[in-house]
Amino acid sequence: MKRWEARRERLESEMQEHIDLETQENIDAGMSPSEARQAAIRRFGSVPLAGDQSREAWGWLWLERLSQDVRFALRSFRKNGSSTAVALLSLMLGIGASIALFSVVYGVLIAPYPYARPNQIWAPAVLGPNDAVRGWHWYSQREMQEIQKLPAFSDVMATHVTSVMLTGGINPESFTGVFLTGGAFNFLEVKPIIGRTIQPYDIGPGGEPAPVVVLTYKFWQRFFSGDPHALGRTITIDDVPRTIIGVMPPRFGWWTDNSFWLPLQTDLKETAGIAVIMRLAPGVTQHAAEQQLNQLNIHLAAERPDSYPKGKLRTVLLNYMDITAASGDMANSLHLLFAAVGLLLLIACVNVANLQLARTTGRAREIAMRLAIGAGRARLVRQLLTESVLLSVVGGALGVLFAVGATRLIVALIPPDYVPNESRIVINGWVLLFSLGVSMLTGILFGLAPALRSSRPDLVGTLKDGGGGATGSMRGRAMRSWLVVAEISLSVILLAGASLAIRGFVQMLNVDPGYQPQRVLRIEVTLPPKSYPTWNQRNTLDRNLLDSVMSLPGVEAATIGNAGMPYSGWRSAYSIDGQPRVDGRQVALALISSRYPQTLGIPLKRGREFTEAEIESGMRIALINESAARLWPAGQDAVGRTMKIDELAQPMNNPKVLSAPGIAAGVTVVGVIGDTKNDGLAEPTAPAVYLPYTLFAPPDRELAVRTVGDPLALVNAVRMKARDLDKDLALGKPNTLDEVMGEETQQPRFNMALFGSFAALGLALAAIGIYSVISYNVSQRVQEIGVRMALGAKRYDILKLILLMVARLAAFGLAIGLVGSFLVERLVKFQMFAKTSFGVVPLAAIFVVLSGVCLLAAWLPAMRAGNLDPVTALRHEA
Amino acid sequence: MSRGEPDSQVDLLQGTLDLLILQTLAFGPAHGHAIVRVIQQRSDEVLQVGHGSLYPALQRLLRRGLIVAEDGLSENNRKARFYRLTAKGRKRLTAETSKWERFSSAIARLLAPLPDQNS
Repeated sequence: MKRWEARRERLESEMQEHIDLETQENIDAGMSPSEARQAAIRRFGSVPLAGDQSREAWGWLWLERLSQDVRFALRSFRKNGSSTAVALLSLMLGIGASIALFSVVYGVLIAPYPYARPNQIWAPAVLGPNDAVRGWHWYSQREMQEIQKLPAFSDVMATHVTSVMLTGGINPESFTGVFLTGGAFNFLEVKPIIGRTIQPYDIGPGGEPAPVVVLTYKFWQRFFSGDPHALGRTITIDDVPRTIIGVMPPRFGWWTDNSFWLPLQTDLKETAGIAVIMRLAPGVTQHAAEQQLNQLNIHLAAERPDSYPKGKLRTVLLNYMDITAASGDMANSLHLLFAAVGLLLLIACVNVANLQLARTTGRAREIAMRLAIGAGRARLVRQLLTESVLLSVVGGALGVLFAVGATRLIVALIPPDYVPNESRIVINGWVLLFSLGVSMLTGILFGLAPALRSSRPDLVGTLKDGGGGATGSMRGRAMRSWLVVAEISLSVILLAGASLAIRGFVQMLNVDPGYQPQRVLRIEVTLPPKSYPTWNQRNTLDRNLLDSVMSLPGVEAATIGNAGMPYSGWRSAYSIDGQPRVDGRQVALALISSRYPQTLGIPLKRGREFTEAEIESGMRIALINESAARLWPAGQDAVGRTMKIDELAQPMNNPKVLSAPGIAAGVTVVGVIGDTKNDGLAEPTAPAVYLPYTLFAPPDRELAVRTVGDPLALVNAVRMKARDLDKDLALGKPNTLDEVMGEETQQPRFNMALFGSFAALGLALAAIGIYSVISYNVSQRVQEIGVRMALGAKRYDILKLILLMVARLAAFGLAIGLVGSFLVERLVKFQMFAKTSFGVVPLAAIFVVLSGVCLLAAWLPAMRAGNLDPVTALRHEA
Repeated sequence: MSRGEPDSQVDLLQGTLDLLILQTLAFGPAHGHAIVRVIQQRSDEVLQVGHGSLYPALQRLLRRGLIVAEDGLSENNRKARFYRLTAKGRKRLTAETSKWERFSSAIARLLAPLPDQNS
């Protein structure tokens, strides 16, 4: 730098010396000193230009010019402090929000899994001719072996999940045991952090699994505090000691993130379903694989018809990403949010474009002057462009910082089941590149238009102009007005989207669930299946537990049943006696004890409840809900009639679940209870059949207790009662029905928060933008206002003038915005709760809010305009 | 010093000016003002654009290594920067001069009046 300066100075002085010499010669030739100097200077020509051209030869001129431009840009930023601040704020919010959301979308929708090529993992679904895809098909182990033989698949693995008990030393606790086939970890290609994963050789030739286990990161932290010496130690699962051979990284959460993985015993006689997934062999298309698999399925269906749909089979391969990666609601919400972010970015860009336009138009005279004294047009454009790029780079940097903070905030607020537990939401390199690209693009886009336009002004006209200018600023004003209209309409769309989200959320809050969720405690109870080998023993235990819990003080009512009350346990095909069977329809099944309706607060509509005797003996009676009662033809009362529940007739696939002796499909309806939202708050009630819990005796039950006071205060008492009966009873994590309801509303609440924030941001940006533009417009018309006042306009007239101008813009913007909102609603399939369309009230509210914003934005400049002293206004030069 | 001159003319001028500077320095080192004086005697038109245009030319030649600069004292004992041909510059001069001569003789032959029109 210093050398550069020195060189410059030397060149300068050399040229000065030249002029001095010439001057001297002229004096010697007889001119007067002043004449001599002038002649010398004239003879020399332009010193700066010569200097410029000389330095150009040095080859570093571009750097010098760049630093000049940058310094000039910084100066002009400082001069227009407020408009620069607004532009930076707009860029920061727009770019920051887009980066944050892109990171979230990337982490959740695009690359949520750490598995190798997750978009090449397929799951099979087998359908009948009229079925819609409802989930994937569960094969038996023998069937899976057949699948492995198909040439279409290069790799096949399966997962089986069941509840297991962790015992030995610590409090017995039930966990989700994830059983995998031998090649599963190799299929998924994720490395453990210590130790090794389950390998094919862990399953012996006869199919016996080695007593090994791989831990999840959370389990390892919880029980071994992250000690690497945990390798080789044993834990007892289902009474079998197993050696810990490895621990997986926190991001690996295959079907569980807090328990463990075990090798699956190969038992070809086993019919319990396993979830099979596969990879296609190279060169095989999805269609070809589906054909092959379908052929196989037809064979398998012939052998095991009950496990397959009826009729002509179709096989569809579902991409793993489509099934699991935040599908359905979350995906839709994210797409919508993408749109919202796009709008926000647009508003931000419009803001900045506006501000830039305003700035360069205001400098019209300065630019004309510079052109007149010889600046090249390219040079000028380059300088204006440097300003814009500098602004956008700084804005981009601020945006990145904002994005980091926003991403952390979003991650902290995401409801737990919203995303796959393997997702990592971080700001990654691609996102950064994207954001920089966006900021550069916005810089160039909105820097270029004003730069190109303002470098071609009518020089003479502009120089003579009083600043307000005839043609140039007229066109500029029109463009800026359109930009304001655009901002208003974009804000309308954004606010409309937010109102929908809020509406959905509010509606969900007001849904009547059909039961009383207040003060109900839920807790899972698991008995060790080996200690209770008979149906009778299990039911006795359960009844004793129920009785002893009911005797606790502070308990209003208690019931025992299937896990997940008040939702159903599972589904079954059915037929109503006397009615033709309808294929493909199912009822929800739930297991209950006698005080189920009272405990959950569900009203009994018709008929009666179960008696204790009936429950004890495992009689085949049922309570149904109103939706199920409507399955009978109108006029027929379901009470007293019989129906067949298919699930009761099939032998249960799970050896751990014992059935009542003499169990068969036919049940008699004895009563009808009220409908509950048993499929989720957003879904219609599924017809449900409630059976005595004694019909099936699985190891897992759930206790629901309605308490007088705080339900969680009773947890310890319940625990003690359970321990008194059998110290090996495992209790799961207790929660309340209120919490469960709360979880349902988590997703809409999250949506509402996100949308609301975006809308608020967008509105704030738009408000600032509108204010800037309007005050700028007013300042440009100061002379005109002076003239009007001189011609007799009163303050009121000026106010009216400004406000009318704004009102016109606002009206345009609102109209376009409304049309836009309806179009957007049409285009985007809105899957939000209750599929609401725009209500009149929210739209009216939006109208009022935006009008208010415009009015506010116009008020101050309008007042300022009205208060102008006409004399100074007339003299004013922009 | 308007920017309206077509590029080819400037190039030609630049080329000519460079050559003239080299020729001037062939007789010995000189400072900027002296070079200007000599060139003016030989071809006034070249410097129509002003003495200042000498300096970019000098910088170009410096960059190409055809001349070197050193500080010294001028006739009236003022500090001045002197320029001198390098060996490379001398070689270039010879080449350029012969090129010029060939070029101008070719032009001259083209423009020479035909023998029978000789008046």
